[in-house]
Amino acid sequence: MTSARPRPTAVNRLGSMRRRVLPALALVALAGCASNAPQDTWDPAGPNAQMIDDLQRPVFAVAGIVGLIVAAAVGWAIFRFRDRGQAIPKQTHGKPVLEITLTIIPALILAVIGVFTVRTVFDLSKTDDTEMVINVTGQQWWWEYDYPVQEEFGITQPIITSGQLVIPVGTKVMLRQTSRDVIHSYWIPRLNGKRDAVPGRVHLNRIEADEPGIYAGQCTEFCGLSHANMRMEAVALSKEDFAAWVAQQLAPYESPADGLAKEGEAVFLNQCVRCHQVNGLERADGSPAIAAPDENVVSGAAPNLSKLMSRNTFAGAMFDLLTPACRRDVWEASPADFGSKYLAGVSEDCLNQTDLRGWLRNAPEMKPMYANPALLAGTGGKYRGMPYLALTESDIEKLVAYLVTLK
Amino acid sequence: MAIIERPSAPATVPAIPSASLGALKRPVTTQHGWRSWLFTVDHKKLGIMYGATALFFFVVGGLEAVLIRLQLALPDGRVLNADLYNQMFTMHATTMVFLFVMPMVSAFANYFIPLQVGARDVAFPRINAFGFWAFLFGGIFLNLAWFLGGAADGGWFMYAPNSGPVFSPSHGVDFWALGLQITGIASLTGAVNLIVTVLNMRAPGMSLMKMPVFTWMATVVQFLLLFAMPVITVALFLLMFQRNFGATFFDVAAGADPLLWQHLFWIFGHPEVYILILPSFGIISEVLPVFSRKPLFGYPFVVFSGAAIGFVGWGVWAHHMFASGLGPVSVAVFSVATMAIAVPTGVKVVNWTMTLWGGKLQFTVAMKFAIALIVLFTVGGLSGVTHAVAPSDTQQTDTYYIVAHFHYVLFGGAIFGIFSGMYYWWPKMFGKLLSERIGNWNFWLMAIGMNLTFGPMHILGLQGQPRRMYIWTEARAGEGFFNLAFWNLVASIGSIILAVGVLFFFINVLVTARRGAQAPLDPWDARSLEWMTSNPPKEHNFDSIPTVGHLDEFFHRKYAEDHQSGEIRKVQGAEEILAEMERNKDAHIHMPSPSYWPIVLALGLPVIAFGLIYSIPVAIVGGLIVVLGCFGWAIEPSTARDEDVDPPAAPSTEVVRHG
Repeated sequence: MTSARPRPTAVNRLGSMRRRVLPALALVALAGCASNAPQDTWDPAGPNAQMIDDLQRPVFAVAGIVGLIVAAAVGWAIFRFRDRGQAIPKQTHGKPVLEITLTIIPALILAVIGVFTVRTVFDLSKTDDTEMVINVTGQQWWWEYDYPVQEEFGITQPIITSGQLVIPVGTKVMLRQTSRDVIHSYWIPRLNGKRDAVPGRVHLNRIEADEPGIYAGQCTEFCGLSHANMRMEAVALSKEDFAAWVAQQLAPYESPADGLAKEGEAVFLNQCVRCHQVNGLERADGSPAIAAPDENVVSGAAPNLSKLMSRNTFAGAMFDLLTPACRRDVWEASPADFGSKYLAGVSEDCLNQTDLRGWLRNAPEMKPMYANPALLAGTGGKYRGMPYLALTESDIEKLVAYLVTLK
Repeated sequence: MAIIERPSAPATVPAIPSASLGALKRPVTTQHGWRSWLFTVDHKKLGIMYGATALFFFVVGGLEAVLIRLQLALPDGRVLNADLYNQMFTMHATTMVFLFVMPMVSAFANYFIPLQVGARDVAFPRINAFGFWAFLFGGIFLNLAWFLGGAADGGWFMYAPNSGPVFSPSHGVDFWALGLQITGIASLTGAVNLIVTVLNMRAPGMSLMKMPVFTWMATVVQFLLLFAMPVITVALFLLMFQRNFGATFFDVAAGADPLLWQHLFWIFGHPEVYILILPSFGIISEVLPVFSRKPLFGYPFVVFSGAAIGFVGWGVWAHHMFASGLGPVSVAVFSVATMAIAVPTGVKVVNWTMTLWGGKLQFTVAMKFAIALIVLFTVGGLSGVTHAVAPSDTQQTDTYYIVAHFHYVLFGGAIFGIFSGMYYWWPKMFGKLLSERIGNWNFWLMAIGMNLTFGPMHILGLQGQPRRMYIWTEARAGEGFFNLAFWNLVASIGSIILAVGVLFFFINVLVTARRGAQAPLDPWDARSLEWMTSNPPKEHNFDSIPTVGHLDEFFHRKYAEDHQSGEIRKVQGAEEILAEMERNKDAHIHMPSPSYWPIVLALGLPVIAFGLIYSIPVAIVGGLIVVLGCFGWAIEPSTARDEDVDPPAAPSTEVVRHG
C-alpha cells in the first residue's frame, strides 16, 4: 500500500492513538485481519475507503468499551444486589448530579466523534482534484460503464463496457452514477462506501485503488428479482496496463474469416443484435448492425458485447467467463503479474462453457428476471433482462465459437 | 364520550333516550359468548383481542423469518425462489412492525392505560372497538395477497420506482398499500383516543409527573403516531394513485424524483422506530422497580428523555439515506442529529442500571426479560452509533450489519420488553400466573437463539454481505474465522432455537390456562395503580376511583417508612386496600354499552380496498357500508333498554350504561 496519499491529520491522530492504546481489543484486532471475504469492509485498498476505516475503527473501539462498561455494571448489579434476604432497600428516587454527569460524558464523547465525522464527510465529498471520469449506469440487473473521451488516458473514442469496471491505479476516478429503471447502489467496499444510482439524477462517487487487482462489489439497493445477482468487479491495472486495455478496447472489429465462428456471427446478427451491440459488426450487405434494445427491453439497454472476452464475467457479473481454476489464477495473481494475466482475456481453454451455454439455452432459468411471463403484458411486451430465445444446440455451438473470438 | 365522572360528582342519573330508534338497538351486555367479544367496547376485552391477534401475526411473521433463514443457511439456497423470497422478507418486516409490535403495544396500552391512570374505560370506547376491527381487517387484507397472485415484493420500505406497476406487476403492492392504509386508520383513532384518555381521565391527584412510566411512554408514542401516520398515509395514497390510477408522482420520465418517496417514508419510518421501542422502555421501567423493590431511578429523567427522543426522533430520518446522494451538508447535519439522539437513549440505560443498583433483586421471568433488554438494547444502540457516523454507514447500510443492529434494538428491545410485560401482567389480565419453570425455558432459549441469530449478522455485514439477497454465493464468502458460510449457518441454527423459545411461550400459555395456579391478588408486590383491583379487574375496573398522592401509589398504601430508622414496613396488604375500596364504592358507575356499529364500519374499509384494486363498483358498496355504519353509530340509542336485557334488568341496577 502506498503511503503517499493525503490523509486528514486529526483523524489519523485518533487512529494512531488506537494503534498505541488499544491493540489488545480483541474485537477490533480480529475483525481487522485480512484474508477475509472479498467484500470485507475493514480492508481498505484505496484512500477513500481508508478515510472511512480510519474513522470507524476508533468509533468501534469506543462503542466496544462503552458496551463492556454497561454489561459489567449490569452484571455486577445482578450479582451484588440479588435477593439474599436483605431488608427492603431505601426508596431512593435518583441522584440528579450523577444523572447529569452520566448524560454529559456520553454527550462529550459523541461530540468528539461528531467533529471527526463531519470532517470526514466533507473530505470524502471532495471532487475538484478528479483525474478521470467514468459514467456508470445501473439497470436491472447489471452495470454499464461508459468511458467518455479522455485523450490523456488514450481514450480517443468512447468505450462502453459492462461486467467489470477497469480503472488505472493511483488515479482519482469519478463515477458519475445514474440508473435507467429503479434505484441501484454502487458498492466496492475496499475502494469506497456505497452510493445510490437513482434514475433522473446523477450522483458522484469517487474511487481510487492503490494496487492492481480485482475488487469485488455488489448492488446494495434492493432492485427487484435478481438484486442478489447484480454483482460488480472493479479491476485496477497499472497505468501502462490500463493504456494497453484502452488500446485493446478501441481496436477495430475483426470479423471471423470462416468456419463455425463465421456461422456464429450470422446467428448473432439474426438473434442477438436486436439488443446487443458489437461495435464494427456489419450485416451481410455491409450496413452496420445497430442494436435497438430500447424496442425490446423495459429498461432500454443491453450489455455491449464488443471485446466480450476481455472481461472475466457476464450476465451482470453473475457468472464467470473463466473456469474456476483460471479465475483463481487471475484473482490470486500478485500485483506485479496481475495486469498481464488480466489483459490476456479469456482463452478457449479457460472459457466457462457450462454457464455460457446454459445462459444461451435459457437465460431466465439461470437468473430470475421476471416472476411470471404472463405479467409481461403490463410492459407492452418488453422483456426485463434476456428472454428465452429457443436457440437450437447447433446455434449455441456456433454462437460460442463466435463469442470466443470477441477480444 | 364515556365515563369521565369522578366519585366526587353529584350522583345524578344521566339523561337516556327512553326508546330505541326503530330497528337500531344497542346489543345487550353479556359477559360470555361470541357476542360479548364481537360487540364489546370494553378496553380490557379489546386489549386482549389486540394481543391475541398480534401474537397470531407474530407466529406468521416468525415463520416467514424461519423460511428466510432456511433459504440462507447454505449458499445458493433452494428453499425459496427469488420471487417468493422477496415477498417473504417484505411481509416479514411488514408483519412484525405493523401487525405484531404495534398492535401488541396497542394491547398493553388499551388494557393498562385506563387501569394505570385510574379510569373505568378509555375516552371513546366505540372508537376503540372500531380501531381494533380496522386493524384486524387490515391485517387480514394485507395477507390475502398471498392467495391472490402474490404478496408485496418491494421490501417494507417499498422504494419507488421499484414499487411501480412495471417493476412489481402483481397486486401484492396494492394489497400492501391499502392494507396499511386501513391499519393506519386504526393507529390514528387509537392515538387520539388514548391521548384524550390520558389527558382527561386521570384519577384525582394523579398529576402528569405521578403517572406510571409505561403510561408516559405509551402517551409519547400516541403523539408520535398522531403526527407520523398522516405522513405515511399521504405516501401510500401517492403510491396507490401511481399504481391504480395512472398518476406519475414517482415516474422519472414524467419529471418526478424518486427520492420524494424516501423522504416521505422515512419521515414516517424513523419516528416509527420509536413507536416500536418506547412502549417496551415503559414496560421495563415498571418491571425493574417492582423486582428491585425500589422506585425507578430518576423518574423525571426517564420521562423527559422519552419525550426528548419523541422530539428529536423527527430530525433524524435522513440517516436512512446516507447513501442516497443527499450531499455532504445534509449528511453531516443528520449524522450529528443522530448522534444527539443517542444521549437521551443512554440516559435510560443509566437509569435502569441504577434502578437495579442497591436493590433487592428477584429474578422472575419478567425481570430476566427486562434485564436482558438493557444489555441487548445497549448492543443495538452502540452499533447504531457506529452508523450514525455517516462515512462508516456508507459501508454498513444495506448490509447484514444493519439487520443485526435493528434486530438487537427491536427483538432485544421491543420484543423482550413485550415478553417481560406479558409475564408481569398475565396474572392481572387472566388471574393466573404463567409458569416460571416453562418461562425460564422460554427466556433462555429466546436469549440464546436471539444472540446466535443476530450476533453473527454483525460479522456477515462487516464482511460485506448485503441484505435482501435471496442467495449468497461462495465466491464472495471468504475463508477462515469470518467466512460467510459458517456464520450464515450459525444464524440459521439460531433462528430455529429462537423459534423453539417462542414456542415455549405458547406452551406456557396453554399449560397455564389448563392448570395454572390462581394468582394471588398482588403476586409481585407491585407499585402502581393497575394492581389496586381484582385479577382480572372487574368490568368497571375500580369500585371506587382512588385518589392518588404518590408516584407509586399502591406501594405507598402498602408500606410506610419509619422516619427514625428509615426502615420500610408493610402496613396493610392488597386485600385490605381492596376491601376498603369496595366499602367506599361509588354510588353510580356508568359503563358504555356494547355496540354493533364499530365492526360494521370497519368491515366497509377492506371492501372499499378490494374495489379499488379490482372493480370500482365494489368500492362504492364498501363506501355505502361505511356510510351506513356512521349513521347507525350516530343515531343508535346511548344504552340498551332494560327490557332488552334477559332477564330484564332491574331499573335500579348499580352499573348504568350509556354511550
